[in-house]
Amino acid sequence: MDTISDTPILSVSNLNISYGSFRAVRDVSFNVKAGEIFGLLGPNGAGKTSTLSAVEGLLKPQSGVITLAGFNVREQPLYARANMGVQLQSTSFQPELNVSEIIKLYAGIHGISISSERMRNILEEIKLGDAASKRYGLLSGGQQQRVSLVIAMIHDPQIVLLDEPTTGLDPQSRRQLWVRMESLRSKGHAILLTTHSMEEAESVCDRIAIIDHGKIIAIETPEKMIELHRDNPEVIKASRRGKITLEDVFIGLTGDAVRS
Amino acid sequence: MQTVIPTTSAALRSLLRADFIAQWRNRRSVILVVLVPVVILFAWKPLVAKIGGPFVLGNCITIGLNAIGLMGYSNAIARDRDKGVFQRLRVAPTPSWCIMLSRLFVQLAMIIILTLAVFIVGYYADKISISARGYVTALITAIFGGALYLGLAQAIVGLVKSPETVNAVSRLVYFIFIMVGMFAQFPGMQVIEPVVRYSPYGVVKDIVSTGLQPALWNQDTTISFLLTIGYTIVFAGIGIRNFKWNSK
Repeated sequence: MDTISDTPILSVSNLNISYGSFRAVRDVSFNVKAGEIFGLLGPNGAGKTSTLSAVEGLLKPQSGVITLAGFNVREQPLYARANMGVQLQSTSFQPELNVSEIIKLYAGIHGISISSERMRNILEEIKLGDAASKRYGLLSGGQQQRVSLVIAMIHDPQIVLLDEPTTGLDPQSRRQLWVRMESLRSKGHAILLTTHSMEEAESVCDRIAIIDHGKIIAIETPEKMIELHRDNPEVIKASRRGKITLEDVFIGLTGDAVRS
Repeated sequence: MQTVIPTTSAALRSLLRADFIAQWRNRRSVILVVLVPVVILFAWKPLVAKIGGPFVLGNCITIGLNAIGLMGYSNAIARDRDKGVFQRLRVAPTPSWCIMLSRLFVQLAMIIILTLAVFIVGYYADKISISARGYVTALITAIFGGALYLGLAQAIVGLVKSPETVNAVSRLVYFIFIMVGMFAQFPGMQVIEPVVRYSPYGVVKDIVSTGLQPALWNQDTTISFLLTIGYTIVFAGIGIRNFKWNSK
C-alpha cells in the first residue's frame, strides 16, 4: 500500500453508457492511482465490462470524461492506448499464429523489436520456454492467461486493465496470476481489475468499487468496506458463518437475486 | 514519462507479417481457391478453340476472384470478429484502418497469385498464349475485379454478424454468380445474358477477358470497367458503413 502514489493514472468522471434505451452505466466516477490494484466488482450485467470497454476506447460513452496517463481516451486514443495494457475477457489471437509470433506481433505494433534472446527470456519467465512454436489455442487456460498478460505488459504500460483474468483458472494458476499482479504493483504499475471472485478482490485489491445496475454503490478498501457495512441488516442476513466477509457485504449491497 | 506512439509503418509491418503467416498456414484454402479455376481450365480444354483462350482465362480468373472474396475474405473476417481478434488488436495503439489495410494487402497478394497461376496453367495445359501487354493489362483488371468481390464480401460482413450466416450467404452468392455467370454464356441461355452481362460477374469477366486482348478494348469494356469501380464503391461503402468490430 505504501507504494501507491496520489497521482491518478486513470480518471473516470460521470461516465454514462446506454444501449438503446437501456442505461448500462450511470454517472460512474473513480480514479486508479499508480501502484494500486483497483477492483471493479458487480453482478452479471452490472456495467463492469461496459465501463472497462469505454476505458479501452472500444465503446463510445454517451457522456463523461476518461483520462488515462493524462490523455483523453476519446480525443487522443492512440496516446491513451500506448499507456495501457489490456487483457480482455474473451481475448483471442489469430489461431494460425504460434505463441512467439503473437508476442512479436503485439511488440511490433507497440514499436518494440524483440530479439530471439529476449523472446527466450520472456517465454522462460512465464514458464513457456518449450511452447514458443505452439499455437495459442492449444495452450491450457493458465498458459493462455500468462501469454495474454505478457502481451498486455510488453510495452511496460502505466496501467493494466484485466477483465476477469482468473475465470476458469485452477487455484495454482490463479495464485500465480495474483503474484504477477502484486509484482506489477510493486513496480509502480496501476491495475484495474474486474472480477466475480471476492476472494481475489480481498486478496489483491487495494481498493474496490461495487457497481450495480450501472451505478457505483461503494468504493473503499476491502477491509474498510467490510467494517463500514458489517452492521447493515442485509449484510448480516447474507452472512453464512457468523463472520462477515466481503462476499456477504457484496450480496448484502447488491441483493441475492440471480442476474441473467 | 513521455509517451511515444509507434509509427504506423511499424505497426503495419507487424500486422502484415502476422497476416501473411496466417494466410500461409491456411494454404489449404489458398490451394482450393486456385484449384477451381485450374480444374475449369482442364475441363474447358476442348472449348478453347471454339470460344477463345482469353474468354476461358477471363472466366477462370473471375471464378477465382469470386472465391477469394466470397469464400476466403468474408469468412476470415467474420471468424476473427467473432473470436475477438479485432477487439484485441483495436486496444493497441494502431489506427483501425491499419488492421483492415493489412488484411487487404494479403488479399491483393492472393489475387496476383491466382491470376498468375491461371496464366501459367492456361499456357501449359491449354496452350493459351497471350501478348506480354495482354498479361499485364489482365493482371491490372483482375486487381480491379478482385476489389469488387472484396467489396461485396465487406458488404456481407457489414450486414451480417454471425459467422455461420456470413458463410452461408457468401456460399450462396458465390454459387449464384458462378452458375449464372458461366451458363448464361451457353446457347439457349440468351434470355438472361443481358442481366449477367452487367452483373458483378459479367463486368469483371468482361474487363479481364478484354484485358487479355487490349486491342479489343471498346466502349462496352469501358462501361464494364466503370461499373466494376461503381459496384466496388457501393459494396465497400455499405460494408464499411455497417461494419461492427464486435459480433456480440
